[in-house]
Amino acid sequence: VQDLEQWPYPQRQIVPMTETVHERFSVEIFRGCTRGCRFCQAGMITRPVRERRPETVQRLVEEGVADTGFEEVGLLSLSSADHSAIGPIARSLGDTYEGTVTSLSLPSTRVDAFNVTLSNELTRNGRRSGLTFAPEAGSERMRAVINKMVSEEDLLRTAEVAFSQGWRHIKLYFMVGLPTETDEDVLAIADLGIAVYRIARAHGKANKVTLSVGGFVPKPHTPFQWAAQDTPEEIRRKLGADPPADPHPRRHPLRTNDPEEGVIEGLLARGDRRVADAVERAWRLGARFDGWHEVRRSTCGAARWTRPASRSPGTRSASATRTRRSRGTTSTAGSRRAGCGRTGRRRGPPCSSTTAAGPPATTAACAPASTSSTTPATSPVRCCPSSRPPPPTSAARRTPPCRRAPSATRPPRPQHPEVAR
Amino acid sequence: VRWTKEGRTRFVSARDQSSIWERAIRRADLPIAYSEGFTPHARVSFPDALPVGVASTGEYAELTFAAPIRADDALARLSATLPEGMDILTYTEVPAGAPKLASLLRATLWELVWPPVDATALTTLLEQRCDTLLAATTHEVVRHRHDGDRTLDVRPAVVSLAVATGPTPDGSGARTTLRAVLRNDAPTIRPADLLVALGDGEVAPPTLVRRVAQGVPTDEVLAEALTGVGRDGRDDIVAEAA
Repeated sequence: VQDLEQWPYPQRQIVPMTETVHERFSVEIFRGCTRGCRFCQAGMITRPVRERRPETVQRLVEEGVADTGFEEVGLLSLSSADHSAIGPIARSLGDTYEGTVTSLSLPSTRVDAFNVTLSNELTRNGRRSGLTFAPEAGSERMRAVINKMVSEEDLLRTAEVAFSQGWRHIKLYFMVGLPTETDEDVLAIADLGIAVYRIARAHGKANKVTLSVGGFVPKPHTPFQWAAQDTPEEIRRKLGADPPADPHPRRHPLRTNDPEEGVIEGLLARGDRRVADAVERAWRLGARFDGWHEVRRSTCGAARWTRPASRSPGTRSASATRTRRSRGTTSTAGSRRAGCGRTGRRRGPPCSSTTAAGPPATTAACAPASTSSTTPATSPVRCCPSSRPPPPTSAARRTPPCRRAPSATRPPRPQHPEVAR
Repeated sequence: VRWTKEGRTRFVSARDQSSIWERAIRRADLPIAYSEGFTPHARVSFPDALPVGVASTGEYAELTFAAPIRADDALARLSATLPEGMDILTYTEVPAGAPKLASLLRATLWELVWPPVDATALTTLLEQRCDTLLAATTHEVVRHRHDGDRTLDVRPAVVSLAVATGPTPDGSGARTTLRAVLRNDAPTIRPADLLVALGDGEVAPPTLVRRVAQGVPTDEVLAEALTGVGRDGRDDIVAEAA
């Protein structure tokens, strides 16, 4: 789509009869992203930036609200505050809906005072609760590595402006496990969080700061696509062991994800078509709605995704009648077709090598290069070198350009004087 | 207004029902009044929540508008913007400060329909059980809930019970229908409680439970709330319930 203006926008959006997430009228105000964050797949694969005109946005919102009856409008894009005319758009919509029950929201990753001004425009009806910013990394050096050019000064000034103009809560998004990261970079997240917290408290005792820290998962089509992914153990060490089991979450303004989920995310993100076998096997082992914490409260069931494939006698004899070569080797098109069967779908245990007499491969071995092979003992996601020697090309790819040296013994968790308390 | 909750909308919860109405009102562009406060809500109130899964042609709602409206036109538009299965049947305009709608809804006509299997035998069984229940002065049942069991007396709520065998809608078979008028006075007795009292574990669950109408109980009859009050003539529901 060269020109978004020419693309018919879905105006009559579905209005759910039961409560859902993202329950609002969404208008995509532009596609692509002006920033070049090196971890961000969406920003890489949606280039170039193509904007909708402010008049079009205004019209889409007005017609959409009238058609759907939604009480909330979301101005969506990868970084909505970066639309070249976002100021006029926000002012015009603010004028239209001032004094009504219709609220406007603007998800944004921009960290500057202008973002606060914009959010003020969109909340004239009085609801100033929370703002979210995504510095992504704690230290200037780390932010330079990921090309998220936000200075600490910017962030602190933004926090100052936000809290002085009546915002009560700031959420900050960070990642750990980024390429070249050291423990100092991790501790810098805490430093930054504490600095923002001091500003928050200076403007009111009830003001809050939440730090949300996720484990970095390298994504294809990004400069980090061959980077190593931290193991769940390493991410837990960096985050200071397990999440706090504290009945008063206010005292722990740190939100983290289950690092095991990142393993599955990495597997699905960087695996190729062979991942379909892993997905099928995980499903056969009982994986259902693994990311739905409403359903499964304990873990994401990572074991189902990383459990070694066992060979039952029945399936082995069935598959032994075929000549099948393990995929990912330098097989010819002919032999691959023979292995796929007539429909192209594989039968039998996924990823088990029937030609080589090696040990059974792991399910996760379907995804090459998910995690560096330098951590064979601890990583549940690993390739299986004994049964499937990697071809030269993929071996070269397995050397990520920015991988940390593996540590022989596990270093202690980073200690921060104020966090350690 | 009296409205329906038929088809798949019978699976809408009372909580979701409010936002469905609020959005339909906004789509119909009606000048609904909003509550004051941090999170304003449209002034639409529903007197009595329906259990999820139960159909209804006897739902009621009270709407407060911020400006005068032409009710005929406005409610026709609202009926059109509500999801399929939710339709406005009738309405009455009342001045501010009129008696609460709930005070007009003192009894409910329920309809329970069974699948077309052994209809004659089921009808006979239910008739016997209904006679026994009506002849008794009390009949206690236990209602199991997540917060514990509760013992309820079903009998005081029962105004009338009528069992009949009739043809299925496509005319291919016969099915059993139970129509019950139950008082809404506390403790509220639901069709599920009535089934425990009648079935005693021997009656299969009905395929469909419907709240047909609500109103004022008269001698074994229900006078529908809106048509029986302040309007000429009586709803055909009245005759049906007899």
